Amino acid sequence: MPQRYDAIVIGGGHNGLISAAYLARAGLRTVVLERRHVLGGAAVTEELFPGFRFSVFSYVVSLLRPEIIRELDLPHHGLDILPLDGTFTPVPEGMGRPAPKDGNGNPIGTGDYLWRVNDHGRTVRELRRWSKMDAEAYEEYGPLMVDMARFIKPILAIVPPDPASIDPRPLLPLTGLLRSFQKLTERQQAVFVQLMTMSAYDFLSQWFETDPLKATMSASGIIGTYQGVKSPGTAYVLLHHYMGEIDGAFRAWGIPKGGTGGISSAIASAARANGVEIRTEAPVARIRTRGGRAVGVVLESGEELDATSVLSSVDVRRTFLDLLEPGAIDDDFATEVRRFKFRGSSGKVNMALDSLPSFTALPGEGEHLRGAISISPSVDDMERAYDDAKYGRFSAKPYIDIIIPTLVDPSMAPPGKHIMSCFVQYAPYDLDPSLGGWDSQREAFGDAVVNRIAEFAPDLPSKILFRNVQTPLDIERTTGLTEGNIFQGELSLEQLFFSRPVPGWARFQTPIRDLWLCGSSTHPGGGIMGANGRIAAMELLKSKRRGIGWHSGDNAG
Amino acid sequence: MSGSIGPSGSIGPSGSRWDVVVVGAGHNALVAAAYLAKGGLRTLVLERRERVGGAADTSELADKIRVPTLAHTVGRLRASVQKDLDLSRHGLALVAPDVRVFAPAPDGSAVILWSDVAKTAAGLRARNAHDADAYAGFDRQVRALGRFLDDLGRSTPPDIRAPGLGDAVAALKLGRSFKGLGRDGSRTVLRVLPMAVADLVAESFDDDGIRAALAWRGVRFGNVGPWSAGTAAMLLGDAAGNDGGAAGETVFAKGGPGALSAALAAAVREAGAEIRTGAEVTAITSLDGRATGVVVNGGEALEARAVVSGLDPKRTLVNLVDPVALGPSLGWRAGNIRTPGVVAKVNLALKKLPVFPAAGGDEALLRGRIVVAPGIDAMERAFDATKYGRWSSVPIVEATIPSLADLSLVEGAKAGTHVMSVIAQYAPYELRGHRGQPAGDWEAAREHLGDTVMSVLESVAPGIGKLVTHRQVLTPVDLEREYGLTGGHPLHAEAGLDQFFVWRPLLGHARYRIALERLYLCGSGAHPGGGITGGPGQNAAREILHDLRGRRG
Repeated sequence: MPQRYDAIVIGGGHNGLISAAYLARAGLRTVVLERRHVLGGAAVTEELFPGFRFSVFSYVVSLLRPEIIRELDLPHHGLDILPLDGTFTPVPEGMGRPAPKDGNGNPIGTGDYLWRVNDHGRTVRELRRWSKMDAEAYEEYGPLMVDMARFIKPILAIVPPDPASIDPRPLLPLTGLLRSFQKLTERQQAVFVQLMTMSAYDFLSQWFETDPLKATMSASGIIGTYQGVKSPGTAYVLLHHYMGEIDGAFRAWGIPKGGTGGISSAIASAARANGVEIRTEAPVARIRTRGGRAVGVVLESGEELDATSVLSSVDVRRTFLDLLEPGAIDDDFATEVRRFKFRGSSGKVNMALDSLPSFTALPGEGEHLRGAISISPSVDDMERAYDDAKYGRFSAKPYIDIIIPTLVDPSMAPPGKHIMSCFVQYAPYDLDPSLGGWDSQREAFGDAVVNRIAEFAPDLPSKILFRNVQTPLDIERTTGLTEGNIFQGELSLEQLFFSRPVPGWARFQTPIRDLWLCGSSTHPGGGIMGANGRIAAMELLKSKRRGIGWHSGDNAG
Repeated sequence: MSGSIGPSGSIGPSGSRWDVVVVGAGHNALVAAAYLAKGGLRTLVLERRERVGGAADTSELADKIRVPTLAHTVGRLRASVQKDLDLSRHGLALVAPDVRVFAPAPDGSAVILWSDVAKTAAGLRARNAHDADAYAGFDRQVRALGRFLDDLGRSTPPDIRAPGLGDAVAALKLGRSFKGLGRDGSRTVLRVLPMAVADLVAESFDDDGIRAALAWRGVRFGNVGPWSAGTAAMLLGDAAGNDGGAAGETVFAKGGPGALSAALAAAVREAGAEIRTGAEVTAITSLDGRATGVVVNGGEALEARAVVSGLDPKRTLVNLVDPVALGPSLGWRAGNIRTPGVVAKVNLALKKLPVFPAAGGDEALLRGRIVVAPGIDAMERAFDATKYGRWSSVPIVEATIPSLADLSLVEGAKAGTHVMSVIAQYAPYELRGHRGQPAGDWEAAREHLGDTVMSVLESVAPGIGKLVTHRQVLTPVDLEREYGLTGGHPLHAEAGLDQFFVWRPLLGHARYRIALERLYLCGSGAHPGGGITGGPGQNAAREILHDLRGRRG
């Protein structure tokens, strides 16, 4: 007689764990089934090299919904986010202006840099070095983006309506949105429309002229997408990354103590406290269905579990094309699922360092290493990096977002040693066949990344004790993210809101009754945000209360 | 007609002879003027050039040899415009060849799209059976979504700040049309519009050549590549309001596009409006936020109850309207209207018909649009160049040989003479300088570009170079200088998702009323956008008549 649950959650990533926590909190008997030995999915901390602990994949956080932190009391379960201050963009000699001078008028280093910090005044002074116009525009741009993020924030909590449905009720949240849209000034409205439609580059060019500034700012518009900074639609991703910065003016990005795995263990602990049963190394082989409804799962071990509801936090393609028998869903839906674009474009290079590297633009150690170090000296460099990817090659001179977590959380490495986390674009999942696939290109890709950084910090290679390269193929193999897409599906305009993941199926339910989606493939998309998992759980509980497909545990609702 | 009382009986500024002054005599301005005059408004059209028609122009390339100077087909012109303005009676004669697109590849193969869907599918079979089967379905999808976009294109964008009853009615109409797509259709349109055209065609077709031939209309005239989001909407917009379908329209005006402009001008005059050429509007005058008239050639001031601009929105607002009246915020927004021109035009006079091996000597295949776009990646690479301020080393070209169907273009010229009209992409307005490509100087670069385009033609029609007796190369800078298209953009403003419907050209100014009271926009920069459709002119006239006849004064 198989074990029976109210809810089975497939996948122990942050969204799966959050869904489970909310369901158990409402009294449902809930189990989470994770394939790997470690919880967190792409938010994991692992000791890849003795004494050095790495946030192997996802490495910073800012999008995690405050209501989740509050409702699940995550700080009590050990969540501790350490702020990262600033973004340092080194600029090679010749591309900037004469190198900045010290007090005695001697050049500080070779080349130049653009260094933005959370201290607004300091940033504006720094920008003035580059362009008085940009310094002024920055004063206006920041608050405007905060307004925009504030306006769009409610969308994160909305269950997308089906525009084709005759039932007007789901449209109600939209009318509220329309009303607040009408309250915006015409200029704010126009800027919002631009954010939803423009390229990050075109959008920013309306305010700024400084090339490294535009390159570095537009970089957050391409994170996790198979797009360039000049591709229409990337301005939205720019906004997507601003969302985290709106609670408590510019609570910029931070890193969780103990790495991103720290978030996962805090959520897992909260889930357990609510009574969730969590099983690791319990890979699901198949979702069992009977009469068009999900009734449980079969593990690869052959063990069967029964449940009233099955929630899948793995991506939409895996859920419907791998975990269900063929024929369980009709061809039209299968076609739509196949259309959903993943196209992983990001890689990750994790390094253990003997000591800190020195950047020629601002030699030695210092504050500038404590935030993000962005290898994005020019817009052309960003675009060329994308062009390489379009034709099936990893970028020869990639865009790199570098973090040295050990400067804010020394516990991650032995005393005096450091960890360097490099998020890299572009690394297209589908390489040109002539290159012979990622398994033969992995280290060449790693070299390209190290060489690119070495252009700005020549002593880096001599300090590397250990290097771990994660290609999109590796990300797929390890975390199960299809094609290595870190957002469980591209954040492109046609894959957002009521079209995410499938037009008409954006409300977390699926054509299979009692099978729900709760991962990043759903609205509002990826990042360590958790909104997906939370809303999915809320929707499921609501449907139970309406008495839809409810068998057991009524009393617990 | 004289005095200040218009036929509508409403009071204009004292002493003003005109109800409406229309700035520019491009095809949309002429369409608007004709409807306004037919509506009883005293209408004056002012054109800077000596000829009307703007980009719908036919000019003499050499003695007795005439070419479509810029646009070369007119098949998107709204049927209702042709009918309402009785253009055939005013001399417009259209020629529509059976073949829509002949897309030869250097390897001697070709993709051929006919007006007949079944014939096209049959032809594609030899190349790719799967794609042949998919073609009819794709054509149906393009037509269905095109119909919806046509309904959208006929409607005036709603007023989102203060929605009125009219907006509600319009919304209902659109809603019905939207629902008319059916449950899946309506979902599809929302999914498809923001897509990249490369993804759209890849959903139906496998063959790269077929994909490219169909995707071309998604990037034509835009500073975008087939991988850019929103290019699917451009393809569907091109299919809106005409029977183009997947193949796209290929309709010529006898005598070239200039003949269309001539017919429109005749209709305008017959309706009682006056057209002045050589009359450049150098300013739009206003008082207390209301347009009062225009200044001509820097001197003569003309008063009117309304000013209608057929110019692009950026030029209209930044160059003609008083910046104080415009205000800093709107001025900033107007200055940021995107007009990145990437289109060059090459016009050729040929001793005799060039030979395209892929056509196997079948002259009939050359009567449509000859598109050289070998593949999606090739198109994308051609686009890449513009990102770095260079023109494509292998541009995408769309050529037509209108003299095949219209001998009047070469009447009196040496027997066998033909003209070829070539649209070439991508050639950015601003040259940043690169090997052999001088920085910022199209004068010096002009003939290099011409040679580059010829080399593409040589690759599919070997020996064509030797047939050329005359060659004219028009760069984006020429488009701006000669035709007043800001940034050299043929569509007045980029047809991106950020300049679409309710926000074309600017949110809050998309209802043909722009910036000032009684200032209107009737050109391609207004909804539903560019191309020779007459759509913006027809829609704008409807709104202007409503304002000037509806209320008094």
